[in-house]
Amino acid sequence: MIRLRSVLAGLMAAIAFLAFTQPAWAFCGFYVARADTSLYNQTSQVAIARNGDRTVLTMSNDYQGDAKDFALVVPVPTVITKDQVNVADPTIMARLDAFSAPRLVEYFDEDPCEWAFGYPAADGLSVQRLSLEEGGPPLRSSDSALGVTVEAAFSVGEYDILILSAEESSGLETWLRRNDYQIPSGAAEVLGAYIRQGMKFFVASVNLEEFDRSTFQKLRPLQISYESPRFMLPIRLGMVNARGPQELVVYLISPNGQTEITNYRTVEIPSNQELPLFIKDEFGDFFTTMFDRQYDQNGRSVAFLEYAWDMRGCDPCAADPLTAEELRKAGAVWIAPNASIWETNAFVTRLHVRYTRDKFPEDLTFQETNNRRFFQGRYVMNHPFTEGINCRVRMRQKYPDNAEYIDEMYDAETMEYIREYYRDYVTSTVPRRFERESQNLANLTGWDLDDIRHRISEEVPHPIPALWRRRYPPRPGR
Amino acid sequence: MLRDARDYQILFLALFLGLGLLTRDWTLQLDAVAVAIATSLAVQYALSVGLSWRVLSSPGPEANAETRSPLWQTDFNWRSPLITALGLSLLLRVDHAETMALAAAIAIASKFFLRIDGKHYFNPANLGIIAALSFTHDAWVSPGQWGEEVWYALIFLGAGGIVLKRVGRWDTTGAFLLSYALLEALRNQYLGWTWDVWAHRLMSGSLLLFALFMVTDPRSIPNARPARLLWALSIAVLTFVLRNVFYVPTAVFWALFLLSPLTIALDRLWQAPRFTWGRRLPLSPTADAQ
Repeated sequence: MIRLRSVLAGLMAAIAFLAFTQPAWAFCGFYVARADTSLYNQTSQVAIARNGDRTVLTMSNDYQGDAKDFALVVPVPTVITKDQVNVADPTIMARLDAFSAPRLVEYFDEDPCEWAFGYPAADGLSVQRLSLEEGGPPLRSSDSALGVTVEAAFSVGEYDILILSAEESSGLETWLRRNDYQIPSGAAEVLGAYIRQGMKFFVASVNLEEFDRSTFQKLRPLQISYESPRFMLPIRLGMVNARGPQELVVYLISPNGQTEITNYRTVEIPSNQELPLFIKDEFGDFFTTMFDRQYDQNGRSVAFLEYAWDMRGCDPCAADPLTAEELRKAGAVWIAPNASIWETNAFVTRLHVRYTRDKFPEDLTFQETNNRRFFQGRYVMNHPFTEGINCRVRMRQKYPDNAEYIDEMYDAETMEYIREYYRDYVTSTVPRRFERESQNLANLTGWDLDDIRHRISEEVPHPIPALWRRRYPPRPGR
Repeated sequence: MLRDARDYQILFLALFLGLGLLTRDWTLQLDAVAVAIATSLAVQYALSVGLSWRVLSSPGPEANAETRSPLWQTDFNWRSPLITALGLSLLLRVDHAETMALAAAIAIASKFFLRIDGKHYFNPANLGIIAALSFTHDAWVSPGQWGEEVWYALIFLGAGGIVLKRVGRWDTTGAFLLSYALLEALRNQYLGWTWDVWAHRLMSGSLLLFALFMVTDPRSIPNARPARLLWALSIAVLTFVLRNVFYVPTAVFWALFLLSPLTIALDRLWQAPRFTWGRRLPLSPTADAQ
């Protein structure tokens, strides 16, 4: 039997998206350039906090172009007035992301010599985190004819906002074009469907004076509050003209339990997998490769659950849980200001959707459930114990105060016991685990199994005698 | 060949459940399934014995020879509660097994207590689902979890077809699905969506499961064909309205629940022989009391 001293250590986050570089039109709305700039929106992040019919939608994205060129159009279920629009704290998405991101955890195998001592070994804790970049954009307004009504026009922070309603899509399209918004061709059909559902259009653009005056390097997330029985996220507009799959991460915050997508199947990302130690330096690469593979294996038509947990805890924590204040900034306004951590009733669901027009013909619709089952994407590394069983020498150095007892403690009988354990550890426990880790990694990523085995020999510390290395010798020249 | 059409139902429901457990649905939990089955059978047994004992011990003048035939002289009806339990397991999700027990108990009890003219008018599993959704803070339905693959649709349709042929209520499923599909098509046309949007809305495993196994339950739906067609049409319309106007994700279940009492009126309007399971022999009322 082996007891693992669970020294929780490295955590990594988010990763995934740093590698997604497909240029694409974006998320729930679409960007409409005023100039012919090429637009990049790699990953959209959306937070939806919902209590009853009251919904707070926070939209952020990692747009990297010139602020003056951006505008954003999002269909919304009701007319939105000025007090329903906010500019959100730019750190909120990063906090949600860090807290809920898939995590890599490391454990250290125990020193068998310590058993005799009964001391817990010293802990080491290191935290690594990568997180999503973020920002968020838009631009401008004008008068109406063409059946387009400007229901409201106002400025919030660095944004100028227009709320439009329209009678028909061609009128809206013409209006937008006349006002210098570049509408992707093919948008009219989709706009029409939203118009006939009675939806309004939230159009945001950047007020350059305000933006220049602000100290923010990037556009901050936009936040809209409204009341509507419709619990959905429009993604169809974003797919007009899309040049590749769109990447979307949605954080759904509810006072009760997990939020589900009702019109697409949701699959949990593989979790609790043991992986070789060397994955620590390439966790991002691992995760994106695994995600690509899962995406393909599931017919490219499912959403992925990456995290579902009550905000009052986490195990292990990839980041500190959000405070009541932060949750309120993310829209969870049912939480009292200054509520203690035990009073913050917020259940966070993180869904990762990679969608294309052919597999995701419908907008995403959600429902809140009372499902309080926790889930997280968790990957485990184990550090083998490599210092051998020269217990007396090592323990004397480690515990000089107890030096006099050491010989007594490690008598022949104890040493025999430790040796037996260690023999089993070296010949069985560790090689088996290496094999398991290799298989897992190969299965999850499609990487070559034999390469992985040899990499373990090359890059992972081994206990002596290193049986695994004999079997899979390091390859020269790597 | 299996003796009783319900055996086919049990077989297919169990097959779907097995598929869900093995490959598809991580929200299915074995303990909840076990609890649903155990509770349904236990409640069915307790109420059958209890009610027949009451009839026996106080044979009033209204108790005719049929109602006095004691339960233990007939076979214990395990099929009906098993079907209810499997249906609940497939459609209802709970956090705690107690909630599933509650749903199953209410479902089975409704067959004994919510009766008019000896016929229960709520579909037991549907009532169990509605009760769990309304009375507890612990239950939900996952309409998206079945996915939409055509393959699934085919399995559902094929399997359902066999069952329906056996029990002779294909008309209800057909009327429901056709009218619902038509309504969605009209909406789709009006909104100007392409037809893949329409197909995606219909290709839901939950919807098919409902259409094939719940809306067709021959014991609780109207007896005469015209009545059944009208009834199925009403459910389709109400489902459509609840889903598209009120945005209720569990629209089909609410529609069936709300319209179930209509069965009574429809049965009065169209008189027809009541459906009985099995070999189409005159059944004793104890078997009727399922």
